[in-house]
Amino acid sequence: MFANSFELFIQRTVDGLAAGSIYALLALALVVVFRGSGQLNFAQGEMGMFCAFVASTLTLSGLPLWLSILLSMVVGFVMGVGIERVVIRPLEHKNPGGVLVAAIGLFLLINQLAVAVWGVDPRGLASLFPDGEDDFFRLFGAAVRWERVGIFLVMLVLLALLWALFTKTKIGLAMRAVANNQDSSRLVGIRVGWILAIGWGVSGAIGALGAALLAPQAGLSQALMLGPFVFASAAAILGGLDSPLGAVVGGLAIGLIQAYIVGYVNFLGGGMVLSVVFAIILVVLLVRPSGLFGSQRVERV
Amino acid sequence: MLTVSGLTASYGPVQVLQGIDFTVGDGEIVVILGANGAGKTTTMRAISGTMPRGGTVDFAGHELTKLSPDAIVRLGVAQVPQGRGTFSDLTVHDNLMVGAFTRSSKVTEDLDRWYSVFPRLAERREQKAGSLSGGEQQMLAIARAMMSRPKLLLCDEPSLGLAPIITQDLFARITELNQESGMAVLLVEQNANLALKIAHRAYVLDTGRIVASGTAAELQADETIQAAYLGV
Amino acid sequence: MAWPKDVRRGSAWHRVGQLVLFGLVALFFIRAGLTWNRSGIGQLTDMLLFATAAVGLNLLVGVTGQISLGHSAFFGLGAYTSAVLVGQYGWTPGWTFPVSIVLCFAVGMVVGLPALRLKGVYLALVSIALATTFTQLLNWDRLAWLTGGPIGIKGLSYLPPSWTPFDGRADLGKWFFWMSLVVFVICTLIASSMIRSRFGRSMVAVRDNETAAAVMGVNLAAVKTLVFGLSAAMAGIAGSIFAMKLTLVEPVVQFFTLFGSIFLLVMVVLGGAGSTWGPLVGAFIFVYVRDWASGVGEGNGVLGLFEGTRIGGLGGIVFGVLLIVIVFVAPFGAVGLLRKARAKVVRVLPRPPALPTVANAQEPQPPTTVVSG
Ligand SMILES: Nc1ncnc2c1ncn2[C@@H]1O[C@H](COP(=O)(O)OP(=O)(O)O)[C@@H](O)[C@H]1O
Ligand SMILES: [Mg+2]
Repeated sequence: MFANSFELFIQRTVDGLAAGSIYALLALALVVVFRGSGQLNFAQGEMGMFCAFVASTLTLSGLPLWLSILLSMVVGFVMGVGIERVVIRPLEHKNPGGVLVAAIGLFLLINQLAVAVWGVDPRGLASLFPDGEDDFFRLFGAAVRWERVGIFLVMLVLLALLWALFTKTKIGLAMRAVANNQDSSRLVGIRVGWILAIGWGVSGAIGALGAALLAPQAGLSQALMLGPFVFASAAAILGGLDSPLGAVVGGLAIGLIQAYIVGYVNFLGGGMVLSVVFAIILVVLLVRPSGLFGSQRVERV
Repeated sequence: MLTVSGLTASYGPVQVLQGIDFTVGDGEIVVILGANGAGKTTTMRAISGTMPRGGTVDFAGHELTKLSPDAIVRLGVAQVPQGRGTFSDLTVHDNLMVGAFTRSSKVTEDLDRWYSVFPRLAERREQKAGSLSGGEQQMLAIARAMMSRPKLLLCDEPSLGLAPIITQDLFARITELNQESGMAVLLVEQNANLALKIAHRAYVLDTGRIVASGTAAELQADETIQAAYLGV
Repeated sequence: MAWPKDVRRGSAWHRVGQLVLFGLVALFFIRAGLTWNRSGIGQLTDMLLFATAAVGLNLLVGVTGQISLGHSAFFGLGAYTSAVLVGQYGWTPGWTFPVSIVLCFAVGMVVGLPALRLKGVYLALVSIALATTFTQLLNWDRLAWLTGGPIGIKGLSYLPPSWTPFDGRADLGKWFFWMSLVVFVICTLIASSMIRSRFGRSMVAVRDNETAAAVMGVNLAAVKTLVFGLSAAMAGIAGSIFAMKLTLVEPVVQFFTLFGSIFLLVMVVLGGAGSTWGPLVGAFIFVYVRDWASGVGEGNGVLGLFEGTRIGGLGGIVFGVLLIVIVFVAPFGAVGLLRKARAKVVRVLPRPPALPTVANAQEPQPPTTVVSG
């Protein structure tokens, strides 16, 4: 099928970048929360999955796809804000270990809520981008699907938007201030609680977008985000949990590693991908304990 | 302008402020003196709303003990915390911008003003605050507080960790700010000698109680107080 | 007489109180072991084994403050060690237990090394990696000659040896119950005496303040690695017994997967991290609440990862909500809650400070944090 090994290499690179874009997107969502509050949102993936179901329901009711996804992102935002204010914040002062358990509780709760509402029969969510049989172009002989290109671009746009949010807006400035020093943030009149909640909201919206992009290829089920979430957290920790750029680099790197391992390392077989990824991450962390781009500042957690 | 009465504050079960009373008049510089652990920082935090407190704190007709820190900043009370509290990962410029968080108009104007007052900060505007020297950080902390256009500035031990000559310069700046804009200043210090030189009035705090008060000149002249509380 | 009454730690009354509490718990287990029916005892045995693994995790999380989501790997490693030795090499099950313990201890020490450099969330994520990697290794076809791959190893059995009072197959349930109880008690004793020892106090120092501990001359690296090893060994022995009781091992057994890790951590936090009774109470709540919750709604067995769990549908929702509610109501775990209730009746005062002698003046002072009671 492939004329030569170069073509094959290009194909694998393209596939890797496509998968990596999704990981990068989801890792960005994790980073936005971690930067603000030093928390890891273990329910992130499930929130995204839930929102993808919302989007699917909305399209079934006749709304255009882009609007449905946008609305599902709003739902994600509200969910994020709500969860931070109702569950996470009250617990944070009481007991940090409790936040983790509560997040696990949320994970189960949201997952099973989706089962209760939408049942277990697989559903579909259409793709935002052309994803028919022959919607691709050839690059050095390798087939590049337009859908993959679309996802890649969405990820880049999102990175740019986040960069603009953090550096060009007042809210973004406040978010950076809160991430750096909560006490001083209070003293300049920032309502720290709301800034943290907004961080969770933004992350919820990004998670919803990620899930909506993933669902067309992966199929919409309650298991949609389980695997991708593990890869995304791997990406975030590889890149550095407080660095948006790191999340993207980490996500793409993991996508590529995955594609190359499956393609080239016959000895391992596909089943061992995650193990190899984690072994690489471990080595990176031993050299740089806060990831590739993470700041080396002392951890608050 | 500021009238504090019966102010109490505790860390858990330990009550640190035993109900203190003092006032800061319009355009006044008032200093609270006291040894380490007397409760000076606690007093500042109780006013700025960053810890639970009891009693009453009246600021221009508003009851501050019922307000949250951000509302207090909006009313025109800015605090320079002990240890400066600059945003070490943010640039000097961003530190000043975030100081103006409660305001939306004429921010650039003020920015230019404080850069001209503190030219050292202008030179280092793109540098991370964490990389500044102690004196520069203290300037930054004050400039940041000024960005909120306060009517009352709370300054917690600005001299801490600074060489005496830098402290003198700093105090001179504080006096200038006070004279130019009529902004009231509540200063907290261990360094009685320097502080009394710039203050109009002073209080002495000891284990959570006000034990002496008077004009700066009176306290400077009172040898028993100097010996008992100010370690001179 | 006014309540609460004061009782000094270590005084006769305090001892009596502890004995009564201990006696009541012991009575419960003895009664259960003698009178409960087969399935009741089976569930109680599972609970004890999870509690044993949780004791190990508690040592780590509660005492050094390191969060591990990788303990399912040690539980599974123990289980597979016994299963391989029994199933593939025909060993007597009892003899595989020491091998399990030593192997898990060694692997735990090795895994504990990177933990030295990592903190908080980073360590949690790396330990997730450990749990996931372990499951992948179990499924890996290149290791199938040893592990049985996705099929696992079946047909294990461990009949009570003749020196025990148990009567062969008929008493199998009781045999596993008493064995688990003994192992649990031993692990708890080891853990709690470690917490009280000088070594243990240095562990608390590690948790509360690394710099302070370093100043006290505690060898942080050694302490942390050793604790990791011990913690892994306890999970390992629990896993070994669990495999024999289950009569099989396969990669999808829930407590060998990441979910097992998560559930163990949930038990530790629910019980009260760092307390002696915490793991038992946490495991008890977990097993019985989960069981109750799964009865609330029909299970749906939805997700790949959920396979083998009884959580599904409404039950999952109830369980999720309960987890959150419990964390809210009892921020320091159930043991913390019980202690608060007890404080209404008796107040336990700390021991009177010992007069400093030349010998113990050199000892580090015990940190003020109360770890267990
Ligand atoms: N975060 C805290 N928790 C408990 N006690 C505190 C805390 N901060 C200060 N204290 C205690 O409160 C008292 C007053 O402290 P502080 O107001 O900081 O004194 P000062 O600023 O005059 O040196 C001291 O005894 C100090 O130990
Ligand atoms: Mg102070």
